[in-house]
This record gives sequence, C-alpha cells and structure tokens, in this order.
Amino acid sequence: MQITGQLALTVVMGLFLVVIAAWLAQIEDWRSYTPIGSGGATGESGYVSKEKPAGISRWLTTVDHKDIGLLYGAYGVIAFVVGGLMIMLMRIELLDPEMTLLSNSFYNSLLTSHGITMLFLFGTPIIAAFANYLVPLLIGADDMAFPRINAIAFWLLPPGALLIWAGFFPLGDIVPAQTAWTLYTPLSAGVGGGSQANAGVDLMILGLHLTGVSATMGSINFIATILTERGEKVTWANLDIFSWTILTQSGLILFAFPLLGSALIMLLLDRNLGTTFFAIEAGGTMLWQHLFWFFGHPEVYILVLPPMGIVSYVLPRFSGRRLFGFKFVVYSTLAIGVLSYGVWAHHMFATGMDPRLRASFMAVSLAIAIPSAVKTFNWITTMWNGRVRLTTPMLFCVGFISNFILGGVTGVFLASIPVDLVLHDTYYVVGHFHYIVMGAIAFAGFAGLYYWFPMFTGRMYQRRLGKIHFWTWMIGSNITFFAMIVLGYGGMPRRYATYLPQFATFHQVATLGAVLMFIGGLVWTYNFVVSWLEGPKVQDGDPWNLREDGMYTNEWQWFENKQETALADGGDEEEAVTDGGTTEAEAEAEAED
Amino acid sequence: MAKTVFDKEMFLDLVVNFIPLFILLFFIVGYTVYNPFGIDTTFRSLQYALIVTPFIMLTILTYLSAKAIGTSERDAPVYLPGGATVDGAEPVEEHEE
Ligand code: HEM
Ligand SMILES: [Cu+2]
Repeated sequence: MQITGQLALTVVMGLFLVVIAAWLAQIEDWRSYTPIGSGGATGESGYVSKEKPAGISRWLTTVDHKDIGLLYGAYGVIAFVVGGLMIMLMRIELLDPEMTLLSNSFYNSLLTSHGITMLFLFGTPIIAAFANYLVPLLIGADDMAFPRINAIAFWLLPPGALLIWAGFFPLGDIVPAQTAWTLYTPLSAGVGGGSQANAGVDLMILGLHLTGVSATMGSINFIATILTERGEKVTWANLDIFSWTILTQSGLILFAFPLLGSALIMLLLDRNLGTTFFAIEAGGTMLWQHLFWFFGHPEVYILVLPPMGIVSYVLPRFSGRRLFGFKFVVYSTLAIGVLSYGVWAHHMFATGMDPRLRASFMAVSLAIAIPSAVKTFNWITTMWNGRVRLTTPMLFCVGFISNFILGGVTGVFLASIPVDLVLHDTYYVVGHFHYIVMGAIAFAGFAGLYYWFPMFTGRMYQRRLGKIHFWTWMIGSNITFFAMIVLGYGGMPRRYATYLPQFATFHQVATLGAVLMFIGGLVWTYNFVVSWLEGPKVQDGDPWNLREDGMYTNEWQWFENKQETALADGGDEEEAVTDGGTTEAEAEAEAED
Repeated sequence: MAKTVFDKEMFLDLVVNFIPLFILLFFIVGYTVYNPFGIDTTFRSLQYALIVTPFIMLTILTYLSAKAIGTSERDAPVYLPGGATVDGAEPVEEHEE
C-alpha cells in the first residue's frame, strides 16, 4: 500500500502544482497589482480590469466578485448533485434490512463523503456564492476588498474536492474514508482493523484542510469588505440583513476554521509521523471530540446564519412590508454568533464527561434557542396581514420557516441532557439536523437562487416548474425527515447499512421521500438549464415589482443600471440583456411569479 | 457627542439579547443554589467559566454593536436597509412598524 499510496499522493499534488503554475501564467497584468498602502480602500477598482478575456480564460483569471460568485455557485451546485446522488444510493440500499446493493464498507464511505460534501463542498461554497455576488452590490462597494485573495480562495476548492473524493477514483489501493464526517479518534487515527490507515483518509483530511483555508481567506475578505468598503450612504444603521449575517458568519469562520485546521494537522501527524496527540494514553478519546465540536457547532451556525439572512431579506419583498423588528433580527444574529461558541459539548453529553460541565453546556444551549425563536416570530409577523405573493422564492422561504421550526424544536429537546441520553446516536439526531440543513438551509439557498435568477442570468425561469420543485421538496423532505424522527424514537441507531426488520417500514417511507426530492431535483435542473439558455429575457430592473411597495434595493438598482447601459451603448462585454422577443407586458406578467 | 445613543427605544431593541443573558444568569444562580454534584474546585470553576464567558462576551458584543448602530442613526440619514444606493432613495422614519 505504501508505495502506490504515496505515488498517487505525489501525482495528485503534482497535478495540483501544475494547475497553480498554469493559473499563475495566465495572469497577464502583474503590474496592476496594488500592494497595501496605496491610498484609500475605495477607488482601487481600476485594477479590476474592465476588459475580460473571452472564453474559458475569463473564468480562470477572473477577479470580479460577480464572476467568482458564479464560480462558487457552479461549484456548490455540482457538489450538491454529487452528494445527492450518493445519498440516493444509500437510501436505495436502506430499502431492505439486509446488505443487498452496496457492501457495508462502501455504504460507510458514501456516508462519510455525503456528509463532508454537503457541509464543506456545498453548504459553505453556496453561501459564498451569494455573498460574493451580492455583498459588494448591497453595500455599494466596487468589489471585494481583496479581489485576488478572493480568487485564490475559490481556486483552493476544486483541488479540495478532488482530494476529498480521491478514494472513489481508481487510484491504486486508495479507498474512500469511512470515518464519518466527525472523524472521531481513535478510529480516524488509523487504529484498529479495516481501512482506517489507508491513504484515502489522509487525502480526505488534506482536502478538508484546503477547504478550511479557502473559507478562512474568504471570511477575512468579507470582514474587510464590509468594515471598510461600504458606500458613503451605507451605514451600520441601514446595512442590509444579509450582509449582517455574512459579517457574523465570517467572524465565526475566522475563529472556527483555523481550529479545525490545527486539529486536522494533529490528526495527520498522529497518523503519519507517530505523534500521540490523540492516543488513548495521551489526549484520550475526548480531546478530538472537544476540538472537533468547538469547531463543529459554530460550523452549523456558519451554515445557517446566511440562509436566515436570505430569508429575512427575501420574505419581506413578497409580504409587501418591511421586515418586522429588523433590529431584533440583527442583534439576535450577533447573539447566536457569540453563544454558538459556548455549546459545543452538547454533542458529547453521552460521553461521560463531568456532570457539572455538562450542565453548563445545557444552559447555554437553551439560551441560544431564544435568538433563533425570535427570528421565527419576526418572519411570521412580517407575513401577518401582509400582501403575501406566493412566488417560488417566497414558497421556499415559507418552507424554510416551517422546517426550521421542526428542526429547532427537536434541537431544543436534544439540548436537554436527559432527553439526549435517550436519543443520542439515533435517527432522531439525523432527523433533527436534516430538518435544518436540508429543510432550512438548502431551501433558503433555493429561495435565493430563484429570487436572484433574473439578475444572475438576465432571464426568467419557468414558474410552473419552480412550484413543482418546491412542492416535491416540501412534501419529500417532510416525509423523509419525519420518518427519521420516528425511527429515532424507536431506537434505530444512526450510521448503519443494515438494521433490524422492525425498522423496515419507516426506512422505506424515508426512501420514498428521497425519491420525491430526486424527481424535484431533476425538474429544478431542467428548469434552470433550459431557462438559462432560452428563458424569456428580463426587460427591466425590477422583475419582482418591488418599487410598488417601496421595497426596491441596491442590488436590483445595480442590475437596472447595467441593463440601461447595455441598452444604451449596444451591449458591453457582459452578455447584453438587450431586447428579447418578449414585450414589456409579457415580461411583467412573467415576473409576477 | 452630547446625547447618549442609549435611549429607551434602544433598550427595547436590545431586549432580544437580554433574554438569553437572563437565562444564563438564571443558570448561574441556579447552579449556585442547587448543586447535586459535590464540590470539586477545578470542575466547579470550569462550570462557572463556561456560562460566565458567553455572558460577558454577549454583553460586550451587544454593547458595541448597539453603539455602532445608534451612532450611525444619530449622525447620518437612515435609509431602508439595503436600499441606500437606490436612485432617489429617501431616508425612512425612525421607528419600524
Ligand atoms: C435551535 C438550536 C439547536 C439546538 C438546541 C441543537 C441541538 C443539538 C444537539 C443537542 C445535538 C446533538 C444530538 C446528539 O448527537 O445526541 C445536535 C446535533 C446536530 N445539530 Fe443541532 N441544534 C440546534 C440547531 C442546529 C442547527 C441550526 C443546525 C445546522 C445548521 C444543527 C445541526 C446539527 C448537526 C449537524 C448535528 C449532528 C452532528 C453529528 O452528530 O453528526 N443544529 N443539535
Ligand atoms: Cu451543536
């Protein structure tokens, strides 16, 4: 194993270096790089070239925040499809109690990769997609504070994904990691039988490390941008809610991801160089768990805060009134940010830690539920008596709220020690966090994708298909994840490829829901691809008729200006959104939904 | 710099963060009064540190952010959140809803 393993590793790293070298060679304009100290933070947009090269090299060399946003988006969507296909295989395997379609170890591999893919390759990047595209527009900045760092942060991700998935490629005897996404030691330190000492685990850890570096660079960039690049009229008092959540999230990333990075390095050292950080007689089994969850719990809020920002931002536009209690939402976002660092050991209640410490973690976990609940009431109150327009993005927002309530309430139960001791490591936990990560986070992501689709593409999607997508997902996710809650109450342990026959029915129900979501996913893919290519062009800068309610915002204003310039001078380097076949009135009707 | 930005309205907005602070305080007092797990200095002090630290950090962050927002509100026109650079944007009135 050593020889081929190391060989493959060398090849992968070599390829990576070649890519970097090729990329560096592509940068024509080194002179234009402006080191720090060259005057004010703003007004540097000069070095973000106006002329973009054509074709593929545009995408490889771009430092434009909008292009990078689209790259992040494409990346996140691809990862989402990969992770989704992985889970479909697993759900089909779980149709019957025995081992049928997949071997148990392949199931474990898929389980590990599904979790890591969805959290690190889909979740964090898709949020960065929105943030890159929108934050500079929303705060009136020319671009991100450090456009080149922005590009580097993105380009670290593809090699990260290749490393994380390396075990699935035919690379000698490298096998995919089977550690589950939490990488608990001593298993992940290579102890015991099975393939835990295989280089596939090392590659995955390296890949994770790269994505962590990427996220950290991105977060520094967002913090600098929001603190220093705001337009003159954009003050703390009128900063939009999405940028607030990105600012908070970036702060969380800044403190959480470097810690994960350090812990991963320690793990690599333990695995390869004979250190004993996590050996039973040294750090013991608890050290890793503390380090991991000190990162891990903030990570779940890193993933949920910006989607909450999207919902807080989009929902009022279709309720015809401003977000109720805007400042409540701002302050509670910040509160979640701080408190999320004080709850990590609620993932470890069952480890036999000192009961006094456990009690403290329970206290903070209960306290953090308040800011989340406050937001929920704000969203509901915003819709109350509002002029609600049930467009596709709005439907996804409402779906978000409903699923978030279920996920949040189950979370509060888990935060109570006696309840957790019963439900820990059962499907109840799986149900809880899927209500949040899929039911809420992904739903908010799709709300954002549909809402800004006209801006990203200059075209409109098909409304009917959007609604079909929503309903298949709303029904499908509730079938699947509710079945998981029930399975958990029944005592079905998580992370198994096989199970006792009495659990078969609810596993089959869960698979049914997953199939429904799969169908919805196909509809969505078709809709977005076809609409991007040949959907009706958006005619004006206000496809959602926000002006009517006085809810028009900065990013659409930018879009409108862009369209007007495009019309005036017969199109610029962007695909011009010039006259399409549709008339003004048709476009309006299209936009109505 | 005459008038403080911490007026009554500000405190109403901050209630949202006072509630979790109060819950933390509740447990700090509660664990002092009721302590079934015996006295062990290390774990006892860690137990308090784990609740007191978030309490202090949340207080500081709430204060700083409230000050930043309050000062901007006092010194500059307030537009619709996310709407400041819209053509012909007018400042909105102070109160919300
Ligand atoms: C309302 C506040 C929340 C509370 C009180 C809460 C509580 C908990 C608790 C106690 C557990 C551990 C259960 C166990 O393993 O026995 C847990 C697991 C988990 N929660 Fe939450 N949660 C909340 C919100 C969230 C959010 C917003 C997310 C995601 C963005 C999330 C994602 C997760 C994940 C991923 C796990 C499972 C981790 C694993 O063991 O693999 N939770 N939650
Ligand atoms: Cu947690």
